[in-house]
Amino acid sequence: MTAGPEGLPQTPPALSAEEAAALAKRHGLPSLGGRPPFGDYVGSLWGQRSFIWTLSTAQTVARNSSDRLGMLWTVLNPLLLIGSYYLVFGLLVPTTKGTTNFIAFLAIGVVIFGYMASSITRGSKSIVNNIGLVRALRFPRAVLPVAETLTQVVTVLPAIAVLMVVVIVTGEPVRWHWLLLPVALAMQTAILGGMVLIAARLVNISRDMTNLIPVAIRVLRYVSGVFFSIEAYAARFDPIVGDVLMIQPFALPIALVRQCLLEEAPIQWIQWAAGLGWAVVLPAFGLWFFWRDEAKYGRA
Amino acid sequence: MAAPDTPAGGRTSPVPERRPAAIVSHLDIIYRVVGGKRSNTSAIGDDEGESIFRNLIGRGKTVATVQSVHAVKDVSFVAYHGESVGIIGRNGSGKSTLLRAVAGLLPPTNGEVFLAGTPALLGVNAVLMSALSGERNIYIGGQALGLTKAQVKERFEEIVAFSGIGDAVYRPMSTYSSGMAARLRFAISTAAVPDVLMIDEALSTGDAEFRKRSGEKVDEIREKASTVFLVSHSNSTVRDLCDRVLWMHHGHLIADGPTEAILTAYEGWDPKKHPAGPPGIG
Repeated sequence: MTAGPEGLPQTPPALSAEEAAALAKRHGLPSLGGRPPFGDYVGSLWGQRSFIWTLSTAQTVARNSSDRLGMLWTVLNPLLLIGSYYLVFGLLVPTTKGTTNFIAFLAIGVVIFGYMASSITRGSKSIVNNIGLVRALRFPRAVLPVAETLTQVVTVLPAIAVLMVVVIVTGEPVRWHWLLLPVALAMQTAILGGMVLIAARLVNISRDMTNLIPVAIRVLRYVSGVFFSIEAYAARFDPIVGDVLMIQPFALPIALVRQCLLEEAPIQWIQWAAGLGWAVVLPAFGLWFFWRDEAKYGRA
Repeated sequence: MAAPDTPAGGRTSPVPERRPAAIVSHLDIIYRVVGGKRSNTSAIGDDEGESIFRNLIGRGKTVATVQSVHAVKDVSFVAYHGESVGIIGRNGSGKSTLLRAVAGLLPPTNGEVFLAGTPALLGVNAVLMSALSGERNIYIGGQALGLTKAQVKERFEEIVAFSGIGDAVYRPMSTYSSGMAARLRFAISTAAVPDVLMIDEALSTGDAEFRKRSGEKVDEIREKASTVFLVSHSNSTVRDLCDRVLWMHHGHLIADGPTEAILTAYEGWDPKKHPAGPPGIG
Protein backbone atom coordinates (compact mmCIF):
# COMPACT_ATOMS: atom_id res chain seq x y z
CA MET A 1 0.00 0.00 0.00
CA THR A 2 1.29 3.46 -0.80
CA ALA A 3 0.96 6.46 1.46
CA GLY A 4 -2.11 8.60 1.35
CA PRO A 5 -2.20 12.26 0.55
CA GLU A 6 -2.89 13.40 4.12
CA GLY A 7 0.57 13.23 5.58
CA LEU A 8 0.88 9.51 6.19
CA PRO A 9 4.56 8.61 6.07
CA GLN A 10 5.77 6.47 3.23
CA THR A 11 5.36 2.80 4.08
CA PRO A 12 8.52 0.85 3.27
CA PRO A 13 7.94 -1.08 0.05
CA ALA A 14 7.18 -4.76 0.56
CA LEU A 15 9.95 -7.16 -0.28
CA SER A 16 9.15 -9.77 -2.84
CA ALA A 17 8.84 -13.31 -1.53
CA GLU A 18 12.31 -14.12 -2.93
CA GLU A 19 13.92 -11.03 -1.41
CA ALA A 20 12.34 -11.80 1.96
CA ALA A 21 13.58 -15.38 1.85
CA ALA A 22 17.07 -14.19 0.87
CA LEU A 23 17.14 -11.66 3.73
CA ALA A 24 15.99 -14.32 6.17
CA LYS A 25 18.64 -16.70 4.93
CA ARG A 26 21.38 -14.08 5.21
CA HIS A 27 20.54 -13.50 8.85
CA GLY A 28 19.74 -17.09 9.69
CA LEU A 29 16.05 -16.63 10.47
CA PRO A 30 14.10 -19.88 10.27
CA SER A 31 10.68 -19.98 8.66
CA LEU A 32 7.79 -20.56 11.03
CA GLY A 33 5.55 -22.09 8.45
CA GLY A 34 6.48 -25.70 8.64
CA ARG A 35 6.97 -28.21 11.37
CA PRO A 36 10.39 -29.34 12.54
CA PRO A 37 11.80 -32.56 11.07
CA PHE A 38 10.40 -35.59 12.89
CA GLY A 39 13.75 -36.54 14.43
CA ASP A 40 14.24 -33.06 15.88
CA TYR A 41 10.68 -33.14 17.16
CA VAL A 42 11.24 -36.36 19.08
CA GLY A 43 14.46 -34.90 20.46
CA SER A 44 12.79 -31.69 21.60
CA LEU A 45 10.03 -33.71 23.24
CA TRP A 46 12.65 -35.61 25.21
CA GLY A 47 14.23 -32.29 26.12
CA GLN A 48 10.90 -31.22 27.59
CA ARG A 49 10.53 -34.17 29.97
CA SER A 50 10.85 -32.00 33.05
CA PHE A 51 8.13 -29.69 31.68
CA ILE A 52 5.94 -32.74 30.99
CA TRP A 53 6.34 -33.82 34.58
CA THR A 54 5.52 -30.33 35.90
CA LEU A 55 2.36 -30.24 33.80
CA SER A 56 1.33 -33.71 34.81
CA THR A 57 1.67 -33.18 38.56
CA ALA A 58 -0.11 -29.84 38.23
CA GLN A 59 -3.04 -31.52 36.49
CA THR A 60 -3.25 -34.21 39.14
CA VAL A 61 -3.39 -31.61 41.89
CA ALA A 62 -5.99 -29.53 40.04
CA ARG A 63 -8.29 -32.50 39.61
CA ASN A 64 -8.10 -33.75 43.15
CA SER A 65 -8.74 -30.32 44.59
CA SER A 66 -12.06 -29.86 42.79
CA ASP A 67 -13.91 -32.62 44.68
CA ARG A 68 -14.53 -32.40 48.41
CA LEU A 69 -13.70 -36.05 49.01
CA GLY A 70 -10.72 -35.73 46.64
CA MET A 71 -8.59 -38.85 46.68
CA LEU A 72 -11.35 -40.92 48.31
CA TRP A 73 -13.23 -41.00 45.00
CA THR A 74 -10.32 -42.66 43.25
CA VAL A 75 -10.96 -45.64 45.56
CA LEU A 76 -14.75 -45.41 45.82
CA ASN A 77 -15.37 -45.09 42.10
CA PRO A 78 -13.83 -48.40 41.00
CA LEU A 79 -15.52 -50.19 43.92
CA LEU A 80 -18.94 -48.84 42.96
CA LEU A 81 -18.33 -49.64 39.31
CA ILE A 82 -17.26 -53.22 40.04
CA GLY A 83 -20.34 -53.59 42.25
CA SER A 84 -22.76 -52.40 39.59
CA TYR A 85 -21.18 -54.55 36.87
CA TYR A 86 -21.39 -57.56 39.19
CA LEU A 87 -25.06 -56.85 39.80
CA VAL A 88 -25.78 -56.95 36.05
CA PHE A 89 -23.34 -59.46 34.61
CA GLY A 90 -22.84 -61.64 37.68
CA LEU A 91 -26.42 -61.90 38.93
CA LEU A 92 -29.03 -60.54 36.49
CA VAL A 93 -27.67 -61.57 33.06
CA PRO A 94 -24.78 -63.84 33.97
CA THR A 95 -21.83 -63.84 31.55
CA THR A 96 -19.71 -66.03 33.76
CA LYS A 97 -19.11 -68.82 31.25
CA GLY A 98 -15.47 -69.94 31.15
CA THR A 99 -14.46 -68.20 34.37
CA THR A 100 -13.99 -69.50 37.89
CA ASN A 101 -13.29 -66.38 39.95
CA PHE A 102 -15.75 -64.10 38.17
CA ILE A 103 -15.57 -61.23 40.67
CA ALA A 104 -11.81 -60.84 40.23
CA PHE A 105 -12.13 -61.47 36.48
CA LEU A 106 -14.72 -58.69 36.27
CA ALA A 107 -12.80 -56.33 38.57
CA ILE A 108 -9.74 -56.55 36.33
CA GLY A 109 -11.84 -55.87 33.24
CA VAL A 110 -13.59 -52.89 34.80
CA VAL A 111 -10.48 -51.23 36.24
CA ILE A 112 -8.18 -51.84 33.28
CA PHE A 113 -10.76 -50.81 30.71
CA GLY A 114 -11.69 -47.81 32.86
CA TYR A 115 -8.07 -46.72 32.72
CA MET A 116 -8.15 -46.89 28.92
CA ALA A 117 -11.51 -45.12 28.69
CA SER A 118 -10.57 -42.19 30.91
CA SER A 119 -7.12 -41.82 29.32
CA ILE A 120 -8.59 -41.55 25.86
CA THR A 121 -11.51 -39.35 26.89
CA ARG A 122 -9.27 -36.92 28.77
CA GLY A 123 -6.29 -37.23 26.48
CA SER A 124 -8.27 -36.54 23.33
CA LYS A 125 -9.09 -33.11 24.76
CA SER A 126 -5.57 -32.38 25.91
CA ILE A 127 -5.03 -29.81 23.15
CA VAL A 128 -8.45 -28.17 23.10
CA ASN A 129 -8.64 -27.97 26.90
CA ASN A 130 -5.26 -26.25 27.11
CA ILE A 131 -5.86 -23.89 24.25
CA GLY A 132 -4.73 -20.90 26.34
CA LEU A 133 -1.34 -22.46 26.85
CA VAL A 134 -1.09 -23.50 23.20
CA ARG A 135 -1.94 -20.02 21.97
CA ALA A 136 0.42 -18.25 24.33
CA LEU A 137 3.61 -20.24 24.08
CA ARG A 138 5.54 -22.30 21.60
CA PHE A 139 6.59 -25.73 22.73
CA PRO A 140 6.29 -29.18 21.14
CA ARG A 141 2.55 -29.73 21.33
CA ALA A 142 2.94 -33.45 21.98
CA VAL A 143 3.93 -32.39 25.50
CA LEU A 144 0.23 -32.00 26.32
CA PRO A 145 -1.10 -35.46 25.35
CA VAL A 146 1.96 -37.13 26.83
CA ALA A 147 1.54 -35.23 30.10
CA GLU A 148 -2.13 -36.22 30.17
CA THR A 149 -1.20 -39.88 29.73
CA LEU A 150 1.16 -39.60 32.69
CA THR A 151 -1.54 -37.91 34.75
CA GLN A 152 -3.80 -40.86 34.04
CA VAL A 153 -1.13 -43.30 35.27
CA VAL A 154 -1.01 -41.48 38.60
CA THR A 155 -4.81 -41.39 38.76
CA VAL A 156 -5.25 -45.12 38.10
CA LEU A 157 -2.87 -46.27 40.84
CA PRO A 158 -5.48 -46.17 43.65
CA ALA A 159 -7.83 -48.21 41.45
CA ILE A 160 -5.05 -50.76 40.91
CA ALA A 161 -4.69 -50.97 44.69
CA VAL A 162 -8.44 -51.63 44.97
CA LEU A 163 -8.07 -54.29 42.31
CA MET A 164 -5.31 -56.04 44.25
CA VAL A 165 -7.50 -56.09 47.35
CA VAL A 166 -10.38 -57.62 45.37
CA VAL A 167 -8.05 -60.24 43.88
CA ILE A 168 -6.67 -61.22 47.30
CA VAL A 169 -10.07 -61.21 49.03
CA THR A 170 -11.55 -63.49 46.35
CA GLY A 171 -8.89 -66.08 47.15
CA GLU A 172 -6.27 -65.79 44.40
CA PRO A 173 -2.93 -67.21 45.55
CA VAL A 174 0.16 -65.00 45.53
CA ARG A 175 2.31 -66.13 42.58
CA TRP A 176 5.46 -64.93 40.83
CA HIS A 177 3.22 -63.93 37.93
CA TRP A 178 2.18 -60.89 39.93
CA LEU A 179 5.61 -59.46 39.19
CA LEU A 180 4.54 -59.16 35.54
CA LEU A 181 1.79 -56.70 36.45
CA PRO A 182 4.02 -53.59 36.18
CA VAL A 183 5.20 -54.84 32.78
CA ALA A 184 1.62 -55.26 31.57
CA LEU A 185 0.66 -51.81 32.87
CA ALA A 186 3.72 -50.20 31.27
CA MET A 187 2.86 -51.75 27.90
CA GLN A 188 -0.72 -50.62 28.29
CA THR A 189 0.38 -47.08 29.11
CA ALA A 190 2.57 -46.95 26.01
CA ILE A 191 -0.35 -48.18 23.89
CA LEU A 192 -2.57 -45.52 25.45
CA GLY A 193 0.00 -42.81 24.83
CA GLY A 194 -0.16 -43.62 21.13
CA MET A 195 -3.94 -43.65 21.07
CA VAL A 196 -4.13 -40.37 23.00
CA LEU A 197 -1.82 -38.69 20.48
CA ILE A 198 -4.00 -39.90 17.62
CA ALA A 199 -7.22 -38.86 19.36
CA ALA A 200 -5.84 -35.43 20.31
CA ARG A 201 -5.09 -34.62 16.67
CA LEU A 202 -8.48 -35.89 15.50
CA VAL A 203 -10.31 -33.77 18.08
CA ASN A 204 -8.22 -30.76 17.07
CA ILE A 205 -9.21 -31.28 13.44
CA SER A 206 -12.87 -31.44 14.37
CA ARG A 207 -14.41 -30.96 17.79
CA ASP A 208 -17.27 -33.15 16.60
CA MET A 209 -14.99 -36.07 17.30
CA THR A 210 -15.53 -35.56 21.03
CA ASN A 211 -19.06 -36.84 20.46
CA LEU A 212 -17.91 -39.95 18.66
CA ILE A 213 -15.27 -40.96 21.19
CA PRO A 214 -17.78 -41.98 23.92
CA VAL A 215 -19.63 -44.09 21.34
CA ALA A 216 -16.43 -45.80 20.23
CA ILE A 217 -15.45 -46.44 23.83
CA ARG A 218 -18.87 -47.95 24.59
CA VAL A 219 -18.61 -50.34 21.65
CA LEU A 220 -15.09 -51.29 22.69
CA ARG A 221 -16.25 -51.85 26.26
CA TYR A 222 -18.73 -54.43 24.97
CA VAL A 223 -16.38 -56.26 22.61
CA SER A 224 -13.16 -56.22 24.63
CA GLY A 225 -14.03 -58.88 27.17
CA VAL A 226 -14.54 -56.56 30.11
CA PHE A 227 -17.30 -58.71 31.63
CA PHE A 228 -17.07 -61.93 29.64
CA SER A 229 -14.42 -64.34 28.46
CA ILE A 230 -13.71 -63.79 24.77
CA GLU A 231 -12.36 -67.34 24.45
CA ALA A 232 -15.55 -68.85 25.86
CA TYR A 233 -18.02 -66.70 23.94
CA ALA A 234 -16.26 -66.38 20.57
CA ALA A 235 -15.98 -70.16 20.22
CA ARG A 236 -19.11 -70.37 18.10
CA PHE A 237 -17.63 -68.02 15.47
CA ASP A 238 -14.82 -68.64 13.05
CA PRO A 239 -11.57 -68.83 15.13
CA ILE A 240 -10.28 -65.74 13.31
CA VAL A 241 -13.04 -63.65 14.96
CA GLY A 242 -11.89 -64.70 18.41
CA ASP A 243 -8.26 -63.99 17.52
CA VAL A 244 -9.06 -60.52 16.24
CA LEU A 245 -11.20 -59.73 19.28
CA MET A 246 -8.43 -60.99 21.53
CA ILE A 247 -5.48 -59.26 19.91
CA GLN A 248 -6.97 -55.78 19.46
CA PRO A 249 -5.24 -53.21 21.68
CA PHE A 250 -8.19 -52.71 24.03
CA ALA A 251 -8.77 -56.38 24.84
CA LEU A 252 -5.15 -57.41 25.02
CA PRO A 253 -4.11 -55.37 28.10
CA ILE A 254 -7.08 -56.78 30.02
CA ALA A 255 -6.08 -60.32 29.07
CA LEU A 256 -2.46 -59.71 30.07
CA VAL A 257 -3.40 -58.36 33.49
CA ARG A 258 -5.68 -61.37 34.04
CA GLN A 259 -2.77 -63.66 33.22
CA CYS A 260 -0.72 -61.84 35.86
CA LEU A 261 -3.28 -62.01 38.64
CA LEU A 262 -5.66 -64.96 38.04
CA GLU A 263 -4.68 -68.57 38.47
CA GLU A 264 -7.35 -69.61 35.95
CA ALA A 265 -5.67 -67.57 33.15
CA PRO A 266 -2.43 -69.22 32.04
CA ILE A 267 0.33 -67.01 30.65
CA GLN A 268 0.21 -66.94 26.85
CA TRP A 269 3.54 -65.57 25.72
CA ILE A 270 2.31 -65.05 22.19
CA GLN A 271 -0.12 -62.47 23.57
CA TRP A 272 2.67 -60.77 25.51
CA ALA A 273 4.65 -60.53 22.30
CA ALA A 274 1.62 -59.00 20.58
CA GLY A 275 1.27 -56.55 23.46
CA LEU A 276 4.89 -55.54 23.09
CA GLY A 277 4.30 -55.04 19.39
CA TRP A 278 1.38 -52.70 20.03
CA ALA A 279 3.40 -50.91 22.72
CA VAL A 280 6.12 -50.10 20.19
CA VAL A 281 4.07 -49.50 17.06
CA LEU A 282 1.22 -47.41 18.48
CA PRO A 283 3.29 -44.74 20.30
CA ALA A 284 5.61 -44.40 17.31
CA PHE A 285 2.73 -44.12 14.87
CA GLY A 286 0.79 -41.85 17.27
CA LEU A 287 3.68 -39.44 17.63
CA TRP A 288 4.23 -39.33 13.89
CA PHE A 289 0.51 -38.84 13.27
CA PHE A 290 0.34 -36.07 15.88
CA TRP A 291 3.45 -34.36 14.52
CA ARG A 292 1.92 -34.09 11.04
CA ASP A 293 -0.36 -31.32 12.34
CA GLU A 294 2.17 -29.68 14.67
CA ALA A 295 1.74 -26.26 13.05
CA LYS A 296 -2.04 -26.40 13.27
CA TYR A 297 -2.69 -26.81 16.98
CA GLY A 298 -4.16 -23.76 18.61
CA ARG A 299 -5.98 -22.56 15.55
CA ALA A 300 -9.17 -20.68 16.23
CA MET B 1 14.35 4.57 26.10
CA ALA B 2 17.10 2.43 24.74
CA ALA B 3 20.72 3.39 25.13
CA PRO B 4 22.11 5.25 22.08
CA ASP B 5 24.37 2.38 21.05
CA THR B 6 21.56 -0.13 20.67
CA PRO B 7 19.94 -0.74 17.30
CA ALA B 8 16.90 1.16 18.50
CA GLY B 9 18.98 4.31 18.23
CA GLY B 10 18.48 4.64 14.49
CA ARG B 11 14.78 4.31 14.33
CA THR B 12 13.44 6.03 11.28
CA SER B 13 14.60 4.48 8.04
CA PRO B 14 15.89 0.92 8.02
CA VAL B 15 19.63 0.76 7.46
CA PRO B 16 20.32 -2.19 5.11
CA GLU B 17 22.43 -4.24 7.48
CA ARG B 18 20.33 -3.89 10.62
CA ARG B 19 19.63 -7.40 11.91
CA PRO B 20 16.04 -8.40 11.22
CA ALA B 21 14.17 -10.19 14.01
CA ALA B 22 10.96 -10.88 12.13
CA ILE B 23 10.35 -10.96 8.40
CA VAL B 24 6.74 -11.16 7.31
CA SER B 25 6.28 -11.73 3.61
CA HIS B 26 2.93 -11.46 1.85
CA LEU B 27 1.11 -13.01 4.77
CA ASP B 28 -2.50 -14.09 4.39
CA ILE B 29 -4.49 -15.62 7.21
CA ILE B 30 -7.83 -17.14 6.48
CA TYR B 31 -9.61 -18.57 9.46
CA ARG B 32 -11.96 -21.44 9.26
CA VAL B 33 -14.21 -20.49 12.13
CA VAL B 34 -16.36 -23.20 13.64
CA GLY B 35 -19.42 -22.43 15.69
CA GLY B 36 -19.84 -18.71 15.23
CA LYS B 37 -17.86 -15.56 14.77
CA ARG B 38 -14.74 -14.54 16.59
CA SER B 39 -15.55 -11.17 18.04
CA ASN B 40 -12.29 -9.55 16.97
CA THR B 41 -12.33 -10.66 13.37
CA SER B 42 -15.94 -9.91 12.49
CA ALA B 43 -16.45 -6.96 10.22
CA ILE B 44 -17.69 -3.65 11.49
CA GLY B 45 -21.46 -3.52 11.05
CA ASP B 46 -22.23 -7.19 11.54
CA ASP B 47 -24.86 -8.62 9.26
CA GLU B 48 -27.81 -9.37 11.48
CA GLY B 49 -29.81 -11.24 8.88
CA GLU B 50 -27.03 -13.64 8.17
CA SER B 51 -26.75 -14.75 11.77
CA ILE B 52 -30.49 -15.35 12.05
CA PHE B 53 -30.31 -17.52 8.97
CA ARG B 54 -27.36 -19.34 10.42
CA ASN B 55 -29.25 -20.00 13.63
CA LEU B 56 -32.18 -21.37 11.67
CA ILE B 57 -30.11 -23.93 9.85
CA GLY B 58 -27.62 -24.38 12.70
CA ARG B 59 -30.06 -24.63 15.63
CA GLY B 60 -27.80 -22.66 17.94
CA LYS B 61 -24.80 -24.46 19.29
CA THR B 62 -25.65 -28.07 18.60
CA VAL B 63 -24.53 -27.93 14.99
CA ALA B 64 -21.48 -25.79 14.47
CA THR B 65 -21.39 -23.54 11.44
CA VAL B 66 -18.22 -23.17 9.45
CA GLN B 67 -17.19 -19.97 7.77
CA SER B 68 -14.01 -18.41 6.50
CA VAL B 69 -12.70 -15.09 7.71
CA HIS B 70 -9.95 -13.43 5.74
CA ALA B 71 -8.36 -11.75 8.73
CA VAL B 72 -4.95 -10.74 7.36
CA LYS B 73 -4.48 -9.76 3.72
CA ASP B 74 -1.10 -9.61 2.02
CA VAL B 75 0.84 -8.08 4.91
CA SER B 76 4.60 -7.62 4.58
CA PHE B 77 7.08 -5.93 6.89
CA VAL B 78 10.48 -6.41 8.46
CA ALA B 79 11.07 -5.77 12.17
CA TYR B 80 14.57 -5.39 13.56
CA HIS B 81 16.33 -6.30 16.75
CA GLY B 82 15.81 -3.74 19.47
CA GLU B 83 12.73 -2.35 17.81
CA SER B 84 9.43 -1.90 19.58
CA VAL B 85 6.56 -2.11 17.15
CA GLY B 86 3.01 -1.08 17.97
CA ILE B 87 0.10 -2.51 15.99
CA ILE B 88 -2.97 -0.29 15.90
CA GLY B 89 -6.33 -0.42 14.20
CA ARG B 90 -9.99 -0.75 14.96
CA ASN B 91 -11.59 -3.85 16.42
CA GLY B 92 -11.57 -6.60 13.84
CA SER B 93 -8.79 -5.13 11.75
CA GLY B 94 -6.62 -8.23 12.17
CA LYS B 95 -4.14 -6.94 14.76
CA SER B 96 -4.26 -9.88 17.14
CA THR B 97 -4.36 -12.36 14.29
CA LEU B 98 -1.26 -10.79 12.79
CA LEU B 99 0.47 -10.94 16.14
CA ARG B 100 -0.36 -14.60 16.63
CA ALA B 101 0.79 -15.43 13.14
CA VAL B 102 4.10 -13.64 13.71
CA ALA B 103 4.44 -15.61 16.95
CA GLY B 104 4.09 -18.80 14.92
CA LEU B 105 0.91 -19.76 16.74
CA LEU B 106 -1.23 -19.53 13.61
CA PRO B 107 -0.06 -21.13 10.40
CA PRO B 108 -0.07 -18.77 7.42
CA THR B 109 -2.60 -19.53 4.70
CA ASN B 110 -0.28 -17.83 2.20
CA GLY B 111 3.05 -16.14 2.53
CA GLU B 112 5.76 -16.74 5.03
CA VAL B 113 6.98 -15.62 8.45
CA PHE B 114 10.64 -15.80 9.43
CA LEU B 115 11.50 -15.26 13.06
CA ALA B 116 14.76 -15.10 15.01
CA GLY B 117 14.58 -17.15 18.18
CA THR B 118 11.70 -18.06 20.45
CA PRO B 119 8.64 -15.87 20.70
CA ALA B 120 6.48 -15.40 23.78
CA LEU B 121 2.97 -14.10 23.32
CA LEU B 122 1.37 -12.28 26.16
CA GLY B 123 -2.33 -11.90 25.63
CA VAL B 124 -5.31 -11.06 27.80
CA ASN B 125 -6.80 -14.40 26.95
CA ALA B 126 -3.64 -16.35 27.57
CA VAL B 127 -4.87 -17.95 30.73
CA LEU B 128 -2.30 -20.52 31.44
CA MET B 129 -4.21 -22.96 33.66
CA SER B 130 -6.80 -21.14 35.68
CA ALA B 131 -7.58 -24.01 38.06
CA LEU B 132 -4.00 -23.99 39.27
CA SER B 133 -2.18 -21.68 41.62
CA GLY B 134 -0.06 -18.83 40.34
CA GLU B 135 2.96 -20.72 41.64
CA ARG B 136 2.31 -23.73 39.41
CA ASN B 137 1.57 -21.46 36.48
CA ILE B 138 4.95 -19.80 36.94
CA TYR B 139 6.61 -23.20 36.67
CA ILE B 140 4.50 -24.23 33.68
CA GLY B 141 4.96 -20.93 31.85
CA GLY B 142 8.65 -20.66 32.65
CA GLN B 143 9.39 -24.17 31.44
CA ALA B 144 7.27 -23.70 28.33
CA LEU B 145 9.45 -20.66 27.59
CA GLY B 146 12.49 -22.88 27.72
CA LEU B 147 13.78 -22.30 31.23
CA THR B 148 14.83 -25.28 33.27
CA LYS B 149 13.04 -26.05 36.52
CA ALA B 150 16.08 -24.87 38.45
CA GLN B 151 16.12 -21.56 36.57
CA VAL B 152 12.44 -21.02 37.30
CA LYS B 153 13.07 -21.76 40.97
CA GLU B 154 15.93 -19.27 40.97
CA ARG B 155 13.79 -16.52 39.42
CA PHE B 156 10.60 -17.38 41.30
CA GLU B 157 10.93 -14.66 43.94
CA GLU B 158 11.81 -12.11 41.28
CA ILE B 159 8.77 -13.03 39.18
CA VAL B 160 6.42 -12.79 42.15
CA ALA B 161 7.97 -9.51 43.26
CA PHE B 162 7.66 -8.02 39.79
CA SER B 163 4.04 -9.09 39.44
CA GLY B 164 3.33 -7.53 42.83
CA ILE B 165 0.62 -10.06 43.64
CA GLY B 166 2.23 -11.23 46.89
CA ASP B 167 0.80 -14.28 48.64
CA ALA B 168 -1.98 -14.54 46.08
CA VAL B 169 0.53 -16.48 44.01
CA TYR B 170 -0.45 -19.55 46.06
CA ARG B 171 -4.14 -19.20 45.19
CA PRO B 172 -5.76 -20.61 42.03
CA MET B 173 -5.51 -18.20 39.11
CA SER B 174 -9.28 -18.40 38.69
CA THR B 175 -9.59 -16.28 41.85
CA TYR B 176 -7.42 -13.48 40.45
CA SER B 177 -8.74 -10.17 39.24
CA SER B 178 -8.03 -9.51 35.58
CA GLY B 179 -5.35 -7.02 36.58
CA MET B 180 -3.58 -9.50 38.85
CA ALA B 181 -3.67 -12.21 36.21
CA ALA B 182 -2.31 -9.84 33.57
CA ARG B 183 0.52 -8.80 35.87
CA LEU B 184 1.47 -12.36 36.64
CA ARG B 185 1.40 -13.32 32.96
CA PHE B 186 3.57 -10.37 32.11
CA ALA B 187 6.02 -11.31 34.84
CA ILE B 188 6.17 -14.92 33.60
CA SER B 189 6.55 -13.97 29.94
CA THR B 190 9.39 -11.61 30.63
CA ALA B 191 11.21 -13.87 33.09
CA ALA B 192 13.08 -15.60 30.30
CA VAL B 193 13.87 -12.51 28.17
CA PRO B 194 12.23 -13.93 25.05
CA ASP B 195 13.82 -13.13 21.69
CA VAL B 196 10.53 -11.70 20.54
CA LEU B 197 7.97 -10.52 23.06
CA MET B 198 4.43 -10.04 21.84
CA ILE B 199 1.98 -8.20 24.03
CA ASP B 200 -1.69 -8.30 23.13
CA GLU B 201 -3.66 -5.73 25.13
CA ALA B 202 -2.21 -7.30 28.23
CA LEU B 203 -0.99 -4.08 29.77
CA SER B 204 -4.27 -2.25 29.67
CA THR B 205 -5.63 -4.05 32.73
CA GLY B 206 -2.79 -3.11 35.06
CA ASP B 207 -2.82 -0.01 37.23
CA ALA B 208 -0.69 3.08 36.55
CA GLU B 209 2.16 1.92 38.74
CA PHE B 210 2.33 -1.45 37.01
CA ARG B 211 2.18 0.17 33.59
CA LYS B 212 5.23 2.21 34.50
CA ARG B 213 7.14 -0.87 35.67
CA SER B 214 6.11 -2.90 32.64
CA GLY B 215 7.24 -0.03 30.40
CA GLU B 216 10.65 -0.18 32.04
CA LYS B 217 10.72 -3.93 31.55
CA VAL B 218 9.89 -3.57 27.85
CA ASP B 219 12.78 -1.11 27.46
CA GLU B 220 15.07 -3.50 29.29
CA ILE B 221 14.07 -6.34 26.95
CA ARG B 222 14.71 -4.16 23.91
CA GLU B 223 18.11 -3.22 25.23
CA LYS B 224 18.95 -6.91 25.22
CA ALA B 225 18.35 -6.70 21.46
CA SER B 226 15.02 -8.44 21.58
CA THR B 227 12.04 -7.18 19.66
CA VAL B 228 8.73 -6.18 21.16
CA PHE B 229 5.37 -6.19 19.39
CA LEU B 230 2.48 -4.50 21.11
CA VAL B 231 -1.19 -4.56 20.19
CA SER B 232 -3.10 -1.88 22.00
CA HIS B 233 -6.12 0.34 21.76
CA SER B 234 -4.49 2.79 24.09
CA ASN B 235 -2.63 5.33 21.98
CA SER B 236 -0.76 6.59 25.03
CA THR B 237 0.60 3.10 25.72
CA VAL B 238 1.75 2.86 22.11
CA ARG B 239 3.35 6.32 22.36
CA ASP B 240 5.17 5.39 25.56
CA LEU B 241 6.48 2.05 24.43
CA CYS B 242 6.82 1.95 20.65
CA ASP B 243 9.11 3.64 18.18
CA ARG B 244 7.35 2.24 15.14
CA VAL B 245 3.70 1.60 14.37
CA LEU B 246 1.84 -0.66 11.97
CA TRP B 247 -1.70 0.43 11.17
CA MET B 248 -4.05 -2.40 10.26
CA HIS B 249 -7.39 -1.80 8.57
CA HIS B 250 -9.71 -4.61 7.44
CA GLY B 251 -6.79 -6.99 7.33
CA HIS B 252 -4.56 -4.72 5.24
CA LEU B 253 -1.43 -3.05 6.50
CA ILE B 254 -2.15 0.51 5.42
CA ALA B 255 0.68 2.36 7.10
CA ASP B 256 4.06 1.51 8.63
CA GLY B 257 6.33 4.17 10.04
CA PRO B 258 7.44 6.21 13.07
CA THR B 259 4.99 6.25 15.97
CA GLU B 260 4.17 9.93 16.10
CA ALA B 261 3.40 10.38 12.41
CA ILE B 262 1.18 7.34 12.16
CA LEU B 263 -0.65 7.97 15.42
CA THR B 264 -1.38 11.55 14.44
CA ALA B 265 -2.96 10.35 11.20
CA TYR B 266 -4.82 7.58 13.06
CA GLU B 267 -6.21 9.99 15.63
CA GLY B 268 -7.20 12.42 12.89
CA TRP B 269 -9.17 9.80 11.01
CA ASP B 270 -12.87 9.90 11.77
CA PRO B 271 -14.63 6.76 10.52
CA LYS B 272 -17.93 8.70 10.34
CA LYS B 273 -16.51 11.26 7.92
CA HIS B 274 -14.56 8.72 5.89
CA PRO B 275 -16.76 5.63 5.98
CA ALA B 276 -14.87 4.13 3.05
CA GLY B 277 -11.72 3.89 5.13
CA PRO B 278 -8.75 5.86 6.31
CA PRO B 279 -6.71 8.07 3.99
CA GLY B 280 -4.46 6.16 1.71
CA ILE B 281 -6.87 3.41 0.83
CA GLY B 282 -9.82 3.89 -1.43
